Amino acid sequence: MTDIATSATRVAAVPGGRRRRLNGGGPRAGTIAAFLTPFFLPFFLFHLVPVAYAFWQSLLVVRREGGQYGTSYTTFGGFEQYLLVVQNTEFWGSIGRIGLFGVVQVPVMLFVALIMALLLDSPLLKLKSFFRITAFMPYAVPGVIAAIMWSFLYSPQLSPVVDLLNGIGVEADFLGPNAVLWSAANVSTWLWTGYNMLIMFSSLQAIPQELYEAARIDGASNWAIAWRIKVPIIAPSVILTTVFSIIGTLQLYGEPAVLRQISSNISSTYTPNMLAYAVASGNNYQQAAAISVVIAVITFVLSFGFMRLTSKRAGL
Amino acid sequence: MSNRVTSIRLAGAVVATAVGISVLAACSSPAPSGDTSAAAAACEPAKGKVTLQYWNTVPGMDKVVDLWNSKNPNIQVEIKNISNDMYGTIGNALKAGNAPELSQIGYDQLPSLRLQSAFADASVCPDALAVKSKFVPWAWSQTSFGDTGVFAFPQDTGPMALYVRKDLFEKHGLEIPKTWDEYAADAQKLHDADSDLSMTFFDPNNAEFFNGLLWQNSAKMYDYSGDKWQVTVDNDKSRQVADFWQKLIDAKLVRTDLAHATTPMYAAYQKNQIATYIGAAWGYSMLRDNLPDQKGKWTIVPLPTWGTSTASGNWGGSTVAFMKGNTHLYESVKFNTWLNTDPEALAMENELGGLYPASLDGLALPALKKGVPYYDDQKIFDVFAESSKNIDRTWSWGPTQKTTNLALQDALAKAVGGEGKLTDALAAAQEMALKSMQEQAIPAAAGN
Repeated sequence: MTDIATSATRVAAVPGGRRRRLNGGGPRAGTIAAFLTPFFLPFFLFHLVPVAYAFWQSLLVVRREGGQYGTSYTTFGGFEQYLLVVQNTEFWGSIGRIGLFGVVQVPVMLFVALIMALLLDSPLLKLKSFFRITAFMPYAVPGVIAAIMWSFLYSPQLSPVVDLLNGIGVEADFLGPNAVLWSAANVSTWLWTGYNMLIMFSSLQAIPQELYEAARIDGASNWAIAWRIKVPIIAPSVILTTVFSIIGTLQLYGEPAVLRQISSNISSTYTPNMLAYAVASGNNYQQAAAISVVIAVITFVLSFGFMRLTSKRAGL
Repeated sequence: MSNRVTSIRLAGAVVATAVGISVLAACSSPAPSGDTSAAAAACEPAKGKVTLQYWNTVPGMDKVVDLWNSKNPNIQVEIKNISNDMYGTIGNALKAGNAPELSQIGYDQLPSLRLQSAFADASVCPDALAVKSKFVPWAWSQTSFGDTGVFAFPQDTGPMALYVRKDLFEKHGLEIPKTWDEYAADAQKLHDADSDLSMTFFDPNNAEFFNGLLWQNSAKMYDYSGDKWQVTVDNDKSRQVADFWQKLIDAKLVRTDLAHATTPMYAAYQKNQIATYIGAAWGYSMLRDNLPDQKGKWTIVPLPTWGTSTASGNWGGSTVAFMKGNTHLYESVKFNTWLNTDPEALAMENELGGLYPASLDGLALPALKKGVPYYDDQKIFDVFAESSKNIDRTWSWGPTQKTTNLALQDALAKAVGGEGKLTDALAAAQEMALKSMQEQAIPAAAGN
């Protein structure tokens, strides 16, 4: 992901910049090693090794010998686990569900974040730092705590909101079979809008004021400045937050897992990660590893596919 | 839990997604697990002082262990509370080869853990075989896997009973139901009298509860014969239970919007919306502690039965298992025997941890003969003791029980949400039980 971040900033900051060639050898190599080791050592140990190990696990199958409680061993099974993933309707069901979630939730969240960022950047708004902090504040709440808080607002037994709606004759069921996905989406939106807004807002802050002055001299209204100048310039940030959101959606776990405590309409296989967890907790680590690898590949294809698509279009 | 930003900042999608699972996977060793009896070949007392590790989730167990330690300077016990992700902790320790000598294990998890060679067989110790007669028979049968070894001692059980709001029953002129048919009839009467009042709630996300009801009806989920596990989750008896609840749900006589032991559930009871609670022995302290205002309003009666049968059900309870690699079986048996049969220890566990003993002598504890103030001084444990006697001894759990339970829950929830019937859930759980066993190379077939 550092790649995405750097490419995005590079595009914004130094178009056409060329990296200077480093002179090899001498004390410089040592310096480079000293600076890189603190990153690459943990990266290798805690990311590459486990990923490789998970991939290796996903190629194994369990065999067993000797009676009712015989001993088990694992052996190389090729892509047998992957075949099971492909055939697993629960898995594709969860991907479909999360797809629907993402197609709706991500645009809504990012649109709201963009509007909020533009408002904060507009000269018309007073009390800017107050609004900036309050908009960002939900992000400081841990996801699980947020989901628990929201579950109290959704529960028909406890929620003042439900009581109020019932009082004015609106039958509200936030945890029903069709509503619960959007209740979870609402928690995600609440949590992440401020964060995305801040990324967009910080790119807005980096735009030189001269551009606005020039635009104003040309007779551009605030509205025109916002849509014709600001939005196109911060497009890379919007793309970046979209990619983050696609990844986050595919990894969705916390919000539905917490809501599952009070709603039976969220199954143990509701999202891909919940399915992987359920399979792992049933001691089927090899299958869980295969599911994880497939989720990772889908995430990779979607996020990089999106980046390629948008960067070509935007001519970045 | 998912944390979008950290994972992204660290190294990206591919890495982050896989890493959570690979941490789990990192602990699964591909090497065949060793023969459990090899390490346990001897039951020799150690020379000098021994320290045993004992993991559990029981509140107040530290005090019980302190008492043992003060009396037994040569067999010291160190305790660790694993309430947070109990089976995850145990599973990791097993795979890392540093499991404790003793650990709390639920009855329904015994077969799946034995399948992973998690236990040491204490039957090499004569003392371990000698305590058989001290325990409730069905519990011993499950910990000894039908007397094929001694892998754990029973600690507590959850004989089921019906908790009744006697004030609401009196108000609406209802009789205490003796059978499930009477229970359904009472539910109808209650609903007719006050549509905001329900007889009980059905939580589809609670397979352990549903399994307790299946157990009562001897709706066996598993059997082992012909060198194969016979999966019989979907059978006539289990369908009878599912049909019964389906009718109550269809007629809207029971609530389906509450999850067991959650704040919303207690709120519904608090608001006098529900008249009974189908629970286990350990539930007595839950109502007492969460519904203090309803002191004196509850009474406990035997679980309604199926027709003329007297059979009751069991929900939950735990064992203390001898774990793989235990090289101090002699001392472990001594401590485990004391922990689960000594009157003083059992009294403390009952008082501090709410445990309902699995030991026969424990059922006669003075503390369990007294009236309980919350229940208007009713001798409630007499009801549970009677229930305990009427539990089917031949019930057994499956080797992939957790997966079966999850599938059952998901399908029950679907049915409650209007997709299919509860009986379909039995078929779904049956299918998943078979599938999960096949995936782990456990020989299994449909036995119905």
